[in-house]
Amino acid sequence: MERTHRVRRRVAATVCAAALVLPLTACDALTPGSAAAVPGPRSVPSSTAVPDGDITLRLQFADAPLMVDALIAAFEKGHPNISVEPQYKTFSDYVQNLKLTMTSDTAPDIAQYAVGMTDLAADGHILDLAPYREAYGWDKAIPPVSLDQLTAGQTSEATGGRALFGVPAGLSMTGIYYNKELAKKAGIDGPPKTVAEFEDQLAAAKKADLTPLGVGALDSGGLHLWAALLNQLMPTDDYWDWVNGTKGATIETPAAVTASKLVIDWGRKGYYNDSANGTAQVDSTAQFAKGDSVFLINGNWAAGQLATVMGDNVGFFPMPGEQASAPTVASGFSVSYAVASRTEHPEAAGAFLDFLTTPEAGQIISDNGFMPPNPDAVKKPEGVLADIAEGHRRAVADDGITTFPDFAAPAMLDRLRSGVQKLIANRIDPSDYLDSLQDEWEEHHAE
Amino acid sequence: MPSRPPVQQPPDVRVRTTEVRVQSQAPRRRSPYRGYVYVLPAFAVYFCFAVLPALHTAYLSLFEWDGVTLGDWVGLGNYQEIFQDSILRRSVLNALVLVVFFSFIPIVVGLAMTGLLARFRRPGMGAYRFLFMLPQVVPLVAVGVTWRWLYGDDGLVNQTFRAVGLDGVTRAWLGDFGAALIAVGLVGTWVLSGLCMMLFLSGVQKVDPSLYEAARLDGAGPVREFVSVTLPHLRGEIAVAMTVTTVAALASFDIVYVTTNGGPGEQTTVPGLLVYRLAFSEGKVGLAAALAVVLGCLILGIVYLINRLSRSES
Repeated sequence: MERTHRVRRRVAATVCAAALVLPLTACDALTPGSAAAVPGPRSVPSSTAVPDGDITLRLQFADAPLMVDALIAAFEKGHPNISVEPQYKTFSDYVQNLKLTMTSDTAPDIAQYAVGMTDLAADGHILDLAPYREAYGWDKAIPPVSLDQLTAGQTSEATGGRALFGVPAGLSMTGIYYNKELAKKAGIDGPPKTVAEFEDQLAAAKKADLTPLGVGALDSGGLHLWAALLNQLMPTDDYWDWVNGTKGATIETPAAVTASKLVIDWGRKGYYNDSANGTAQVDSTAQFAKGDSVFLINGNWAAGQLATVMGDNVGFFPMPGEQASAPTVASGFSVSYAVASRTEHPEAAGAFLDFLTTPEAGQIISDNGFMPPNPDAVKKPEGVLADIAEGHRRAVADDGITTFPDFAAPAMLDRLRSGVQKLIANRIDPSDYLDSLQDEWEEHHAE
Repeated sequence: MPSRPPVQQPPDVRVRTTEVRVQSQAPRRRSPYRGYVYVLPAFAVYFCFAVLPALHTAYLSLFEWDGVTLGDWVGLGNYQEIFQDSILRRSVLNALVLVVFFSFIPIVVGLAMTGLLARFRRPGMGAYRFLFMLPQVVPLVAVGVTWRWLYGDDGLVNQTFRAVGLDGVTRAWLGDFGAALIAVGLVGTWVLSGLCMMLFLSGVQKVDPSLYEAARLDGAGPVREFVSVTLPHLRGEIAVAMTVTTVAALASFDIVYVTTNGGPGEQTTVPGLLVYRLAFSEGKVGLAAALAVVLGCLILGIVYLINRLSRSES
């Protein structure tokens, strides 16, 4: 009995071992992922003519469902044979599944542009729209700087110019909001013209026993502050090279050290809300709306909420430069849409994207609290929205809209978030912080 | 092989019994296999949904893979990378600190409450149990969101401190480099204390009431009674509680993800969070799988140790 038991156990062990080893020997067949080439062309056809017959486009997105619904309704009115089926996902769901979704056979025809799109573009899973840029004349309808954010760092095979992997609907930009009443109390008489003047204003607010600057550094508020300062100190081209992963680019520059030092200094001087590191961006916005701080770092996406609560009491300015004559530079991006390579209706998708650049779409976008790509075509906004539109106009005119620093690598957001938290708490040396960013950058761009 | 109890048979049916024995012996020889057949459905489910995924994870950990394109075989390279990563070592340390808050304190609290509640059966015990069990019923994500508010600038925690004049103590607990990990740990204490108490209470109910009576007759006070009667009978339950809570601490993810997302800095970063980040936002599925395997082995090792210790003591 004992022996058969032992034999049986040995057999079982052998089977287990074989089950473990077998996949290893049959490696090729079982290697995860697929190297299968993307079916179909890599760029849109040169013709913009939408074929006759009923077409259904599936649009997957994560931002502003109300705006998307309104845009679709308006588009379908003008294109009776095309219907667009919206598929809304929450942002984190959307970003997590983006790669799987876009490489599957059931990929949507149109999808919102997000961080992972650069890799998808490199592998040919989304279409290069450069031919349509010329055919539809998008350069005239949209500030070219907004389109140049969507090149994924590539040259177009179809046109030889810059590639284009998305068309923007609403644009975004970060900057500083200020509470006019509290500013007056602290003796601040208007938006600063230089970083140094802004520092004086922060000091004045501190002296008046107010919290100078609200930062929501629990999530991304801290990195917006750091990027806003970096934008003023680091040459824009160098910054772009770094974010785009250009060979040899680095963030370990004296300018970046200075920007990081400023974040530390302001923390040491007590310019931030005490609990900046424990406050989410939405919470910092709510606190600012309640009058807890004189200034707030955030993006235009908060403007609608602040305008509703604070009315005329709130203003906005982009972070000023080192000199008053310096160009206006601010980080921003867009809610943009890309076209999947697997779509059967690239012309219809192109027609939808082109619709986004029309004045009619611009008005819908503006009504939903975003900045339309073509500001001239919409009604003039009022109050803080006008401040933002003006700031954006200046930044566009100065070619000064830069993208967010976390676009440099997929893991960069976490490095930036935790790094800036340490800067705010004065727990890290600027050079060590920048070194951690550059490590991440090099790891991602090594391939 | 177990022998049958000898049965006294009357002599006249002897022949028939032998026949029966011959017949009944055939199925008895197959009995070990028959046992497996009964287990098969459960085993199949377990194998498909627990063992296979685990093996698949271990297999994926040998590749450098972004989740989409063809992976590259790197052998044990991912493991090498893991053991060199300072953030990762930090996260394991944080998880071990969490063990104190998720396991040690809840067990002590659970024992104390059991001592208080089990001594006499009072009316309304069910209500107590329900109240203390409540944190277990609420989804952890909701727990995290609630505590994020409680710990906030103007949250209940700070309001309480201000109300009693301790203004100097107030801070954004989850954003404070010194306090964040403790704050997150205390959320775990809140969640798991009730579970421990429930386990211990049900254990106490198995204890023969006459033992307590005897102890009281011998003049034992509440403390003596607890140490000499209750505690020894709860050894099994304590081992179970320790296993469950330690696993909850080491594999913690939801509470940390919702409250601090690992911040400030890396103060509350735990391995579970890194597995998630590596796989889903950084596109390093192989590395994430390797980390998951290491984490799994660590947990298995500690659970084995707990079981071993509790067994050798009894």
